[in-house]
Formats: sequence, structure tokens, C-alpha cells
Amino acid sequence: MSQSLDEAALTATEPWAEGGRLNRLRHSNTTIWVTMLVASLASLYASFVLSIDAIRLAEDPNADLGCNINAVISCGTVGASWQSSLLGFPNAFLGLVAEPVVITIAVASLGGVKFPRWFMIAAQAVYTIGVLFAYWLFQQAMFEIGALCPWCLLVTVATTLVFFEMSHVNIRDGNLPLPGRLKGVAQAAVRSNLDLVLVIVWLLLIALTVVAKYGTALFA
Amino acid sequence: MSKSSRAKTEQMRAEREEAARKQQSRRRLVAILGGLVILVLIGAIAWVAVDAAKSNDDSPGNGSGELVIPNNLNGDGAIPVGDDSAPVEVEIYFDYICPACGAFELANGAELDRLLEDGSIHLALRPIAFLDKFSSGTEYSTRAANAMATVIDGAPEAVWDFHGAMYVDQPAEGSEGRTDEEIAEIALEAGVPQEVVDRFEDQTFVPWVVKVTDEAFESIDGTPTVRLDGEDFEGDVYTPGPLTEAIEAKL
Repeated sequence: MSQSLDEAALTATEPWAEGGRLNRLRHSNTTIWVTMLVASLASLYASFVLSIDAIRLAEDPNADLGCNINAVISCGTVGASWQSSLLGFPNAFLGLVAEPVVITIAVASLGGVKFPRWFMIAAQAVYTIGVLFAYWLFQQAMFEIGALCPWCLLVTVATTLVFFEMSHVNIRDGNLPLPGRLKGVAQAAVRSNLDLVLVIVWLLLIALTVVAKYGTALFA
Repeated sequence: MSKSSRAKTEQMRAEREEAARKQQSRRRLVAILGGLVILVLIGAIAWVAVDAAKSNDDSPGNGSGELVIPNNLNGDGAIPVGDDSAPVEVEIYFDYICPACGAFELANGAELDRLLEDGSIHLALRPIAFLDKFSSGTEYSTRAANAMATVIDGAPEAVWDFHGAMYVDQPAEGSEGRTDEEIAEIALEAGVPQEVVDRFEDQTFVPWVVKVTDEAFESIDGTPTVRLDGEDFEGDVYTPGPLTEAIEAKL
């Protein structure tokens, strides 16, 4: 009895439209899709620059790229590494292929399109692979290649934001095929904005790592 | 509306309010704790950044110091090897981490040795450092070129042996290059006296390296660039033979 009442209470008030204006704004469709749109546009732009750089590097391994600022901030160093063409072609090409899909999803959703659940699950699955790949590259650049490439960092941050909003919307709408209890926990976390705090903390931790490892070169 | 259904509505509203209150206090808790963590992190970033900027001020300037030109350069500011009355001058631009320069050395080093010895050629070596970005932040190109400048300054007789030894087991692009200790060891083995080797770490000639690197790119596009009596050698520099033939044609 009380179980069904609880459910009734939950559905009666739209759970995502509660609290103050800021909170409602954060969980609104507009915020979610606009954030995703801006992040995927940024990521597409960075992929575009990186693809052009990859072609220029292929022509001339010592090409002077715009973002070769010093020994540490250098797209050339990262671009010349084997990690940046893991699959036999420049990784940036993947961004050129994948980001327009995200842009399409974001724009269509802003226009009121509701994608079927299986579609959103597939999008989440593919993008999860993408975000893992982006972080592998980030880790390799930071600790193996020993150089930072500003466009790669933009991709890392933008990919994180797209992943964050995609998870946000999929948890909010109950799209993910999670076991019931986990789903409840995830929804509670999102409703109390724990996910927002986590993503900010995460990005700040990345900034801290970068500054700690490369600060002397960054502020040279 | 029946009494029981009104009670039910009451109860539902109460539960709804209770849930909303709970949710709100949870949000507030997350906001406060999360905000605190975020503030601490921002503080940590600022602290590390300021610390990094400060330690920069303490370290000796790279390339921004006083320009000191090494002794014993030739009239054109290059590092001379061999008897300058030898008929053909071979001028070589190189960077110590550049793989193509390593390949050039491997293909032609022995031939150049021979031609030097029989008095056919003299060399004008031009070490430059434009590939610092390929040594994982250790600026191997600059350190190596500075070592070379120090050797010509203090031990000119060891310059050619040191140069050749630096290309043996050349570190790859993207590696960390050689450490200062490794460069020092190579120099000692090449016959550079200890007191000259000790001066590598002063980085006295880094401003000179920066200057000649800038100047080099007014006339070259990359390394190695090889000139015979001032004229660009356009032949294959990566297999033994063509360069020797071109030199011998000039004799």
C-alpha cells in the first residue's frame, strides 16, 4: 500500500521540476541538450584542427604547428606519437565521424524529438567507449608522451561534458537497463545533483594534475 | 468525496511533502559538501600554480641570458674540423635528436673521417636546436648543442670525436634524450677534459644556440642540410657514396 502511494507521490509531482529555479534549470531539457550541443561542437572543432595537423605532420614531420608553444605544450609531439593513430589513422578522424551524431541528437532533442530507449542505450554505450578512449589518450599524453596538446585537452573536457549530460538524461529518463536498486540510487544521486558536483570535482582534479606536473612549463 | 478517500489524499500529500523535504535537505547537503570540496580544489590549483611560477623565477634563464660566443669558431661562426686549407669545405646543419641526422652520420661518418684524414675536406659544423619538443620536455637538442659549443670552446681537438659519439645509439624522437650525466660521459670518452665537461651544466652557450638556430632557418628548411663549398648538396645523404662522389668530383 505505502509502496504504491510512494510511487503515486513521485509521479504526481514531476520529480525533475522540484526545488528552486536553478535546480529546475539544471534538470531541464534545454540545459542538458544545449550543454551537449556546445560540448560536441567544441569537440568537433578540436577534432577538425587535430585532423588538419595530422595531415600536415604526415607531409612534414617537423611542421611548425600553431600550438607548438614550448617543449611541453606541443601538438606536434603528441601528434607524432603512435598513440595518436592507434587504429592506423589519426584518432581525430573518429571525432569527425562521431561528434556530428551527438550534435544531431542534441539538435533533434532540442526540437522536441524523443528518441526510443534502445537508441539512447546505444548512444550511451558508444559514447562510453569514446570517453574511455579519450581518457586513455589523456593518460598517455600526460605520463608517457610527456607533452600537452591544447586541442586534445579540449577534446577530453568536451567529451567528459557530453558523457556527463548523456548519462544525466538517460538516468533521469530511466533509459539505462540497470537493476532496480541501482537505478534508484543513480536517480537519487542525479536528483540531489551529486553528479554535477562529481563532474566539477573531476575536471578540477584533472586541472590540478596538469598544473602539478607541467606548471613550471606552463608558467614559463 | 468520501471520508476515506479524503484521508487518502491527505496522506498522499503528507508523504509527498515529506519526500520533497527529504530531497531538498539531501540537495542542500550535496551542495554544501560539494562546494567545500570544489573550493579546496580551486585553492590547491592556485597554490600549485603560484608555486610553479615562483620556482620558475628561481631557475636560471634558458636562452634569455647573456650571449656568449664560443671560442675557436671559424670566420662564419661555424665549428671547424680539420685543416682549413683542405680544398673542399663540407658544412653540416644538424640537431642531435633528429633521426635523419643520425642516418646521415651513420651513412657518411666513416667517409668524412677518411676524407678529413687525407686532407681532402674540412668541416663547418652547425649544431642547432629546433627539435626540443621531441624530447619529452628535457630539451635534449638544446643541452646537446650547448655541450658541443662548450667542447669547441674548451677542447676543440675533441669536437669531431664527441660529435660522432653523440650519434652512436642516438636517442629516439619522443624519448627523453640523454641525461646530462650521459652527455658528460660521452664527452669524457671522446677525450674532452673533465674541467670542460664540468662546464656543460652552466649552459653558458644556450643563448648562442638559440641565436644560431634562428639564423639557420633563414637559409635552411630542415636538418640535415649539407653544403659543399657553400652550395646545397641535393643528392642522397642517407646512403654511403653519393656525398663522397660529389666531394671527390670537386677535388
